Amino acid sequence: MMATKTSATLNPETHLLLDQPLLRLPHEVLRKIFKTSQKYVEQDAKRITDLAKDAASKSDSPEASLATLNTMITRIQGLKRKMETLHEDEKAVHLQSRKRTTHLNDLYSLSSLLEDGYGRWSKVRLDRLLVDYMLRNGYSESAKKLAQEKDIEGLVDVDVFLQCWSIEESLRKKSTVECLAWCQDNKNALKKIKSTLEFELRLQQYIELVRARKLSDAVSYARKHLSGNFDTHKDDFHRASCMLAFPPERPGPYKDLYAESRWDHLVKTFVATHHNLYNIPQGPLLHVALSAGLSALKTPSCHSALQSRSNTASTVTSLCPICSMELNNLAIHVPYGHHTTSWVEHDLVVLPNGRVYGTKRLEDLASKLGLEAGRIKDPITGEEWDSIEVRKVFIS
Amino acid sequence: MDAIEKELDRLTGKANLSKSIKDIDACLELLMAARSTIETDPSSAASTLSSLEGQLKTGFDKTNDSLKEVYGGLNKYGKALDKKFKPVNMSDYDVLSSHQPLIDRAIAMHFLREGNFDIADTFISEAKLSESVPPSLETEFRDMYRIREALRMRNLAPAIEWAASKREQLEARGSNLEFELHRLQYVVLLFGGEEGGAIKALEYSRREFVPFQQKYLGEISQLAGALLWQQKMASSPYAELLNSESSWEAVIDSFTSEFCSLLRLSAESPLYVATTAGAIALPTLLKMTSIMKEKKTEWTSQNELPVEIPLPDKYKFHSIFVCPVSKEQTTDSNPPMMIPCGHVLAKDSLNKLSRSGNRFKCPYCPADSLPKDAREIYL
Repeated sequence: MMATKTSATLNPETHLLLDQPLLRLPHEVLRKIFKTSQKYVEQDAKRITDLAKDAASKSDSPEASLATLNTMITRIQGLKRKMETLHEDEKAVHLQSRKRTTHLNDLYSLSSLLEDGYGRWSKVRLDRLLVDYMLRNGYSESAKKLAQEKDIEGLVDVDVFLQCWSIEESLRKKSTVECLAWCQDNKNALKKIKSTLEFELRLQQYIELVRARKLSDAVSYARKHLSGNFDTHKDDFHRASCMLAFPPERPGPYKDLYAESRWDHLVKTFVATHHNLYNIPQGPLLHVALSAGLSALKTPSCHSALQSRSNTASTVTSLCPICSMELNNLAIHVPYGHHTTSWVEHDLVVLPNGRVYGTKRLEDLASKLGLEAGRIKDPITGEEWDSIEVRKVFIS
Repeated sequence: MDAIEKELDRLTGKANLSKSIKDIDACLELLMAARSTIETDPSSAASTLSSLEGQLKTGFDKTNDSLKEVYGGLNKYGKALDKKFKPVNMSDYDVLSSHQPLIDRAIAMHFLREGNFDIADTFISEAKLSESVPPSLETEFRDMYRIREALRMRNLAPAIEWAASKREQLEARGSNLEFELHRLQYVVLLFGGEEGGAIKALEYSRREFVPFQQKYLGEISQLAGALLWQQKMASSPYAELLNSESSWEAVIDSFTSEFCSLLRLSAESPLYVATTAGAIALPTLLKMTSIMKEKKTEWTSQNELPVEIPLPDKYKFHSIFVCPVSKEQTTDSNPPMMIPCGHVLAKDSLNKLSRSGNRFKCPYCPADSLPKDAREIYL
């Protein structure tokens, strides 16, 4: 009994491994909002104080001074509007974070994995993980619908992922415009993590020009966009210059630069960079939860070649989830759970066909089926015997 | 969580952009005031402008200070998050990334069985699953939810009709769902408060109980006895069966379970059970990985997890036999063997004990036996 007790204990402290992104992502969004506001204030404050300085130093006519003042007022009103918009965004993220801490706190009010409350919480978690999985795979409509129907819109990050997906799609269509705009948007953050994404996008753009044999355009593009990174990308730079001499039909040593697969690589680099900036896991957490769960539940019986082995213990009437059609093929790819003690029914007996059951289960079945007294039936194979033919089995 | 909430309070309370907006507003006021001063007295333009420069600078300095407070708040919040959520590398546990079609299919089936048909449709078309998810499944589950809905409204007819159509399969499973439904219907008629309930119940039992007479004779005669209780519904032993919400819930559950079993599906969504078990298992798995990384060891068996995951009993669906000698779980290639004294060992252990077919002593009792007398059992 002790074992049962401890294995049902819920420890919220360690249980929240899958839930980090729930708060991490909004935190990054808040930081981004802050950075933007800082930039706005810096730019506009400088412009306005410059104007003030200018106006103070030269003695313009009152009309001209008023005109300058009006420019300053328009400017600062613009700043105020921009800041107010950011503040609205900020408030929305605060509200969202609050919903999330409340959701996480709900777990702290539970103490057992067997409580109904835990089941409900875990259902919400599954829906969250599903929305995350769908968004990462571009199933946007399903994700939105699920979030809406389950009323968990505050707990999922549809917008961030939608933006990410639309940039991925544009890269797949071989357009770098959207992704370059995103790089521009996140310039400082990218610099901080020494991302090479922008360089690689520019390089690709250059390669496309070379591929189209617009060589002079390519050279001027390289001058404008690539030469600035010469120090950090010497090799790339050299190879990029040399490839001019090799047309795509005879790529020589520059096959890799002409390769279509470079676009896939760009998509991967972008997604990795994006998730890195938002501090979210690189892959869907559904994979992590499922891999762990499939293993924990899987037993050697689940993929036994002998159909007769797919026996379920009598304590559960339902089919095992790993044996169920939904997950059976998927579970082939994970190891099965480790056990140090046997887990069997009480009062085991073996039938003449070698199959082992608990006595109570056989008795229950016999009475449910209305068998004659002293007869028993194999619950799985349906064979019938006299109960004197069964033998006791001892499992230590 | 308290520390995180406290820092979040700071963000919503003070460390947000509202303060800097006020500061900017103050600067705007300064500019407006300067404009009206110059408008009313154009000669003051020069002096107004020269003092304006300093005032604006102070104003913007204040704005920047307010922004710094936001920055500080965000940093503290970030630190609280770091403290609570240790960075973990979970990519080690993702062995499924190359199996997206299988995961997609499992998700679609999850929505169908949960009765989220709208989402399921959208998902199936978005993930292009129409080939891998049998369309009959939706029909089946729609039927299941129709019957469940009727049961919820306390209408047993659709469930009884379904159970009758599946009588053979249900009986083979040892299920007495059909009889249970009839019994409930009888009680409903008898005590439901309708005019002539007793007559109706009697007619019902004559009509419907016939096929069950042999098997459930005792039960049926008890039900007949219930006719006598009709006037005293409240004190009848059937009152509870009829009125309690939980007995109806139990009927709905047992119907669902039987329905899914006949489709060879588990009663609860496997996706739900597996992700929940996964969340329970993760702390143990992560701890193990970090220990193994420290000790630079590898798993000895790729087929089996290196550590036991403590799952509640309701997550145990199969019998598990761990050989008392080798401490290994039995498998197809190393099945459990029962020796004549009734004790069970794994086949490999048996072979080791007996050394080339010789007589050996049972590790658990004084009996000795020949390996050829051991027989494979199916747990």
